[in-house]
Amino acid sequence: MGGDSKYLGLWYVSPYILGFAMFTAFPFITSFYLSFTDYDLLSAPEWVGLENYEKLFERDRTFKKSLSVTLTYVALTVPLKLTFALFIAVVLNYRLRGINVFRTAYYVPSILGGSVAIAVLWRYIFAEAGLVNMIITMLGGEPVNWFGDPGNALFTITLLRCWQFGSAMVIFLAALQSVDKSLYEAASIDGAGPWQIFRNITLPLITPVIFFNLIMQTVQAFQEFNGPYIITQGGPLKSTYLLPLYIYDEAFKSFDMGYASAIAWVLFLIIMVLTLLAFWSSKKWVYYAGDKRS
Amino acid sequence: MTTRILSLALATTALAGAANAADLRMSWWGGDSRHEATQAALEVCGEKHGHTISPEFTGWSGHFEKVATQIAGGTEADIMQINWPWLPIFSKNGDGFADLRELSDTIDLSQWSDAQLEAGSVGGTLNGLLVSTTGRLFVFNTTTWEEAGLELPTTWDELIAAGPVFAETLGEEYYPMEAIGLDAALIVTLYGTQKTGKSLIDAETNQINWTVEEMTDAIEFYQSLVDNHVILPWRDQLASGVQALHENPKWTNGEIAGTYQWDSTYFKISDPLAEGEEIEYVGLLDLDGQQTPGIYRKASMVFSISANSDNQQAAAEVLNCLLNEPEGVAAMGSARGVPASKAALEQLQSEDAIAPEQADAQAKILEAEGPAIHPFMEHPDVRSAMQDNLEAFAYGQIDAATAADEMLYAIEEVLTDNFDS
Repeated sequence: MGGDSKYLGLWYVSPYILGFAMFTAFPFITSFYLSFTDYDLLSAPEWVGLENYEKLFERDRTFKKSLSVTLTYVALTVPLKLTFALFIAVVLNYRLRGINVFRTAYYVPSILGGSVAIAVLWRYIFAEAGLVNMIITMLGGEPVNWFGDPGNALFTITLLRCWQFGSAMVIFLAALQSVDKSLYEAASIDGAGPWQIFRNITLPLITPVIFFNLIMQTVQAFQEFNGPYIITQGGPLKSTYLLPLYIYDEAFKSFDMGYASAIAWVLFLIIMVLTLLAFWSSKKWVYYAGDKRS
Repeated sequence: MTTRILSLALATTALAGAANAADLRMSWWGGDSRHEATQAALEVCGEKHGHTISPEFTGWSGHFEKVATQIAGGTEADIMQINWPWLPIFSKNGDGFADLRELSDTIDLSQWSDAQLEAGSVGGTLNGLLVSTTGRLFVFNTTTWEEAGLELPTTWDELIAAGPVFAETLGEEYYPMEAIGLDAALIVTLYGTQKTGKSLIDAETNQINWTVEEMTDAIEFYQSLVDNHVILPWRDQLASGVQALHENPKWTNGEIAGTYQWDSTYFKISDPLAEGEEIEYVGLLDLDGQQTPGIYRKASMVFSISANSDNQQAAAEVLNCLLNEPEGVAAMGSARGVPASKAALEQLQSEDAIAPEQADAQAKILEAEGPAIHPFMEHPDVRSAMQDNLEAFAYGQIDAATAADEMLYAIEEVLTDNFDS
């Protein structure tokens, strides 16, 4: 390989490297520095040491509330979404007439899901006189205050995220189709029923994909912003005030960029610890083909 | 040879013209009618003064954050529509925007009174030119009030008495008024101001004027409005999520028959009303034994020129055209309320270009009395201190005294951070 071509690969990837350096690495490192400063955007940052973190853990009631709401949201959203996505993927794995139409239809919400328009639509569906309450009333029930009741608001926002199950579903579907059919045939011959086959063959064989989806969905859930921002603006009583909303408010409404950076870093550390925990636990429940442990 | 010299002279002249012509940007927030009027005005003024102006417009939501980010990065537009309370936030010492007095050869400052120029100044530096004045007034749906068999109220007592009548004659879903979030905070502020004769934050001393007991009284008054079926409970109004009043079906169909709003929002809240529904601004409600009518009046917005602009002179020409010159004034009309500039006001009045409802509401705003409003009444942290604690009170999480105490403590903290050296 000549001297010129030695760096050809680097030239090819340079647009990505440049973009990563400018728009990810630089803000990432800068935000870490800013988290130790008092910075109002308009004047130079002033070094305050650990003051932001001390305030965060010792005096900030809003942070505690927001953290609790965020953890509840993630704990609700991730299992619900993964279970639902896997269930639909199993259904769509059957050879049915027009199955591709169904697969596309179920994927559509994921394409639309993050948009402002869908959040607005969600607000109308769960409004006082919205579709959901109309159905409940038709069935003889009492209308529910979905957004005004702090106990219901977070659940309603959670459903919006679960509704966007398409991308997880497609990955599950691909995994289901890659399971060796001869294993199913052998199990059937041995007298195993559908549930036994699913539990003892399908599930273990798709655990790498479950693990992947678990990590991705957890990270995404921690970063949720659009739904609560548009529908409830974090209310009522901060019952949907997720940490990304709090970071946004501190940074762009209160002009406390240093404090917002500190919250962002705490959020990052929480996500990192949970991800590491998931990786550590994966040794006990994720099965890789060719793995000699089993 | 002569031809060559002529060509050179012509080319030099052309180049000189091009150097004068500037590429400018102007940013603002607003609704469709304002966007259309401003774009038309920019075209006219750009053509007149030989500049190109790129418009950058959004709705109200998120505009503050956008401007903040741009100013922090030094990428703000040359001309900006700035909300009056933002001036001390973006320009703590008066150096956050261009000093418009230095551009007074181009901008005719005589069109504004000294008080109006003072309102646009920070630390003695003229940072913004007042576009219009606005204030909060009570506005009621006359159709619903007629159906209830009631005259529009002029006092709090009449409003409170109307609550049960609405429920009996029209049904439980009908309310004479609404007030959550900012509207609720401003109702509390109005009542407290009327009762004490003092503004919540003193505009001169930057200190809180009310005691915890006075704030508690104002919060309890708010609760009396809920208890008397005058306003919807907070929880019920949020049942369809957070939505602007003009997007709320209960407002458009007349079930909510009143609100306390900026006079400049007349068209925004009247346009979506269902056919047959009419509204009317009634001014302020009188409180028995009040110390002051307590008008919440302020400069609605100012036009500022960026301190970082390379074309401040050109921006000043466009600014003067938009606010004072006949072509710009005609195109802008009353899209930002009744203009503060004398020249613009005279021109629009002579052309009958101000809607009678707008003129009537503006007259009520200017006639009413009340203590000066501190710009920090609209500081995000002050607003959130009031609204968050009122919400906690409305949901029964804390009592009125605790809410008052928490509010004043949080407001005090903001004032200390910003004004104590």
